[in-house]
Amino acid sequence: MTDYRYIGKPIDRVDALEKVRGTARFVGDYHLPGMLYARCLRSELPHARIVKLDVTPALQVPGVVAVITSDDFIDHGRFGFPISDLFMLAYEKVRYVGEGIACVAAETPEAALAGTKAILCELEELPAIFDMEHALDPNAPQIGPAREDGKHPNFLGHFPVYDGDPEAVLVDCDAVIDQNYETVMQEHAYIETEGSLAIPTVEGGVLAYVSCQSPFIARGHIMRTLGLGETAARVINPPVGGSFGGKDDLNYMTAGQVACLALKTKRPVRMTFSREESMIASYKRGAMRMRVRVGADKAGKLRACHFKATYDSGAYSSQSPFTSWRASIHAMGPYRYDACTVDLTTVYTNNGFAGAFRGFGNPEVYAGIEQAIDELAEKLGIDPLDFRLQNCLRLGDTTPHGQTLTESVGLSDCLLAVRKASDWERKRAAYAHQSDPDRRRGIGVTALFHGTSLGAEGTDEATGTIEIHQDNRVTLTSGLTDYGPGSRTVYCMIAAEMLGVDIQRINIHLPDTNLAKDSGPTVASRSTMLGGNATRIAALNLRQNLDYAAADLLGCEVFQLQRAGESYLGPSEEPVPWEVVVEHARRMGLVLSTFGRWSAPKIHWDEEAGRGVPYFAYHFGAQIAEVEVDLRTGLTDVLNYYAAHDAGKVIFPQGAYGQIYGGVAQGLGYALYEDVDYMDGYLQSINFDTYLIPTSVDVPEINGSFVETHYSQGPFGAKNIAEPAMVPVAPTILNAIAQATGRRVRKLPANLERVLLGETLHKKGSPVSCKVALKSV
Amino acid sequence: MPKYSFATAATVDEAVRLLNEPEVRSIPLGGGTDIFVALRVNPLWFDRLVDITHVPELHHIGVADGVVSIGAAVTFTQALESELLQGVAPFLACACENVGGPAIRNSGTLGGNVANAAACADSLPALVCLDAVVHLLSPAGERALPISEFVSGPHQTNIQPGELITHFSFAQPPAGARSAFIKIGRRRAQSISRLSIAAIGTTNAGGAIDYIRITPGAATPKTIRFTPVEDMLKGQPPTRELFVRAGEAMSAEMISVTGRRWSTPYKEIALKAITERVLAAIFLQEAQPC
Repeated sequence: MTDYRYIGKPIDRVDALEKVRGTARFVGDYHLPGMLYARCLRSELPHARIVKLDVTPALQVPGVVAVITSDDFIDHGRFGFPISDLFMLAYEKVRYVGEGIACVAAETPEAALAGTKAILCELEELPAIFDMEHALDPNAPQIGPAREDGKHPNFLGHFPVYDGDPEAVLVDCDAVIDQNYETVMQEHAYIETEGSLAIPTVEGGVLAYVSCQSPFIARGHIMRTLGLGETAARVINPPVGGSFGGKDDLNYMTAGQVACLALKTKRPVRMTFSREESMIASYKRGAMRMRVRVGADKAGKLRACHFKATYDSGAYSSQSPFTSWRASIHAMGPYRYDACTVDLTTVYTNNGFAGAFRGFGNPEVYAGIEQAIDELAEKLGIDPLDFRLQNCLRLGDTTPHGQTLTESVGLSDCLLAVRKASDWERKRAAYAHQSDPDRRRGIGVTALFHGTSLGAEGTDEATGTIEIHQDNRVTLTSGLTDYGPGSRTVYCMIAAEMLGVDIQRINIHLPDTNLAKDSGPTVASRSTMLGGNATRIAALNLRQNLDYAAADLLGCEVFQLQRAGESYLGPSEEPVPWEVVVEHARRMGLVLSTFGRWSAPKIHWDEEAGRGVPYFAYHFGAQIAEVEVDLRTGLTDVLNYYAAHDAGKVIFPQGAYGQIYGGVAQGLGYALYEDVDYMDGYLQSINFDTYLIPTSVDVPEINGSFVETHYSQGPFGAKNIAEPAMVPVAPTILNAIAQATGRRVRKLPANLERVLLGETLHKKGSPVSCKVALKSV
Repeated sequence: MPKYSFATAATVDEAVRLLNEPEVRSIPLGGGTDIFVALRVNPLWFDRLVDITHVPELHHIGVADGVVSIGAAVTFTQALESELLQGVAPFLACACENVGGPAIRNSGTLGGNVANAAACADSLPALVCLDAVVHLLSPAGERALPISEFVSGPHQTNIQPGELITHFSFAQPPAGARSAFIKIGRRRAQSISRLSIAAIGTTNAGGAIDYIRITPGAATPKTIRFTPVEDMLKGQPPTRELFVRAGEAMSAEMISVTGRRWSTPYKEIALKAITERVLAAIFLQEAQPC
């Protein structure tokens, strides 16, 4: 095993001190001379035609400097990929409560709000759809864009996987489970709300500080919708206070709006959201309704899976085509089948809108399949962990998609690791025989696979740069953003390891579209693999120059060089300090600034045939939850949690463990508390007093561990961790609850009422708090 | 955030004076844990906040002649840490320990909890069990009201404009009385009560229940003692069978007050459970949280 100096060793996060001391400057901390405050007029109706929009009265309000609408953008600010159905501000129609209609820039936030209230906006309410099951009814009102293929406009896409004929196999199975499962929308609950600041440049362009995931995408939208060239639009990522997938589309709108206003007013313009505005306007994890049929033979061999689901994308497509696709790929779980069909249909409704959220469709499908697998094991009388071990994907297996797994498949080892760590066999047996009428315990398990990076969604590459400066400090850039997971620290570790220098020499710039290279979106837990490889190659290119200089200086061949700490050694010389080698390289005229690009292995997916190679590698994992349920109040306590993940080689241990802990906490909220409830399109919980996420005392001790299978294409053998840690948490907890209570909760969250009664209680909602919050500072 | 002014009172008299200055709508500010949340979705209903938390006597907790007195600005943390309250009314200390999280307990006050009069207020069931008296001061003089008359409904009280709650008082419960409080929240902290129950009682030399008060929280619009259930328990030897019947009676009583609401299918079952548990904690010494 290679002995690394930094890789896999504990180290301080590069941004730890500034975060702990509160010196990190987020968008909301910027106050520039002459800066204006922007505020959106947002829709109070879930579906309406904009009959009249007259902003002139707003311009009469003291302090208001400018007002923009969709007319101020090219093609009304239309954007979105792969379906362009979003606008920088609503055009002709609004499709959800909270959609931006016009944007006001004013001297104070109060004046901006007064400006939004003065706008004459006449909305003609249209019939709306709030139940995804009725989105494709023939007479359903049109929400999605008109289609030319004759399909219903509210049909967003169909996402299949086809492997043989599961119907034919299911009839032959000894045991079949046929159940419906349902998940609800989830709020990202990032600590920093949305925000952007745009500053007009003397050249007539705009510099924008955007709290987002992907600065190059923000720049692209600004360029295209405002008619600016690449050099006239520049985006810098300030520190981002959490994202979890949530700082994409909506904040690109925010960025476009302030950029437009900055160009119009020739003054800096900043917009930051209140928590209520953030919760009302922002996209969520989408809701899914599933029917899962799985069958096995008596011996416990899984034979067939038929997974059929509807996914609610809300008012816009946003990332749903990709989310739905990822969901379809993983919907059968990490198992071998004789035959498998996945049949997922995504639709438009007027329930806010759904976009990217950690796990990207997988927490939804796992809430179905990983409960169904458990129910099937129970029906067969087989231990659910043994059942998974018997059927899980292993090295050399071919997946239902037709992909043969040739390396880095640690799933069975993960299952064995959590079985041992949790004392599974003893607890599972003990909890099967309990007599306390009030409180009972249960233990549940899940198995996970999660495709790494984008998959066959599109081009998958990244570029990093590295440079040695006159003072011998080294700086890196990456086109990928570190909104919390720790990728900047990973890049510094990789660069230090590759160059053989102290990590203290290395700094990494915040993403800046003028300094860094476009590396695609910061999504899909791809930063370590893509950005890490790019950094590794950039540093390797730089080291080759330094090695060449060192060999020249030491009068030897490159292969004869050795290192002692940072210093270089030749065959017969005393060690030469690294700085001397660098200086020699400068005198030789060598360039001490290099870049590295890494492209992911080629993969392909046939959307019609539902077959192909969807991802170049997979993360695997297994989790176990131990719960105590109060049978008479429905209260669930998660007592212990065990998570083993095959993330490949772990580069930054604290960061990786942090992802497990955070993922489990976020998944616990999804399992037990969180419910984005739209009553006729109006969000019912608009702040954290009623939208409950776990507190520190709700999260148990988490026993995390890693199964480090080496992945040949990853940097130092690394794969990824960020999303996968969260993906299977809800079904893990639900499986434990099922053992404790003897009853399944098949709709998330497993709140007091569902656990106690086995049914959902419906509280009458109200549009009032939404409407008030949209008019408050 | 809407604009309003702010004043700090150093004494009770100054607080009352500030609250009664003409043409300024003033309201007392305790910890602000309800006011500042409400401000985000409600139009401004005052012009000035009068901070009463710096008035020393409003932080007083004491007992004289068998009457316990708690100042209105006593925070939940002060209450739960008070050895006096832990001794005479442990269920009140326990209720205070169940409020929010540490930060909310450090700033939120009992006076504020009662004045806000939420149906789910954590301190109300114990205070109602104790038949606490609310002491009010205004330029017209002192006024005292039983808490069950002071709170008239959810977020409704009989406080008059310009009146300040100065303190609460209650007669020291009988010697040997045991009390307990149980709260169901959706999570373990920072949680609004889904349902709660406070009870206090004793048995006589013959082993029969001779003193019992029982009050559910978040069960009825106005927090009230369920006296029919108390009457049913009185004179009976404390047994599990009795508590099961008491639980059923509690749920029936709740439904007779509220009718069947969206949450009734849950609450009627959960109230039975916590009724049995709270009575078992008092009379059968079964352990309960705090």
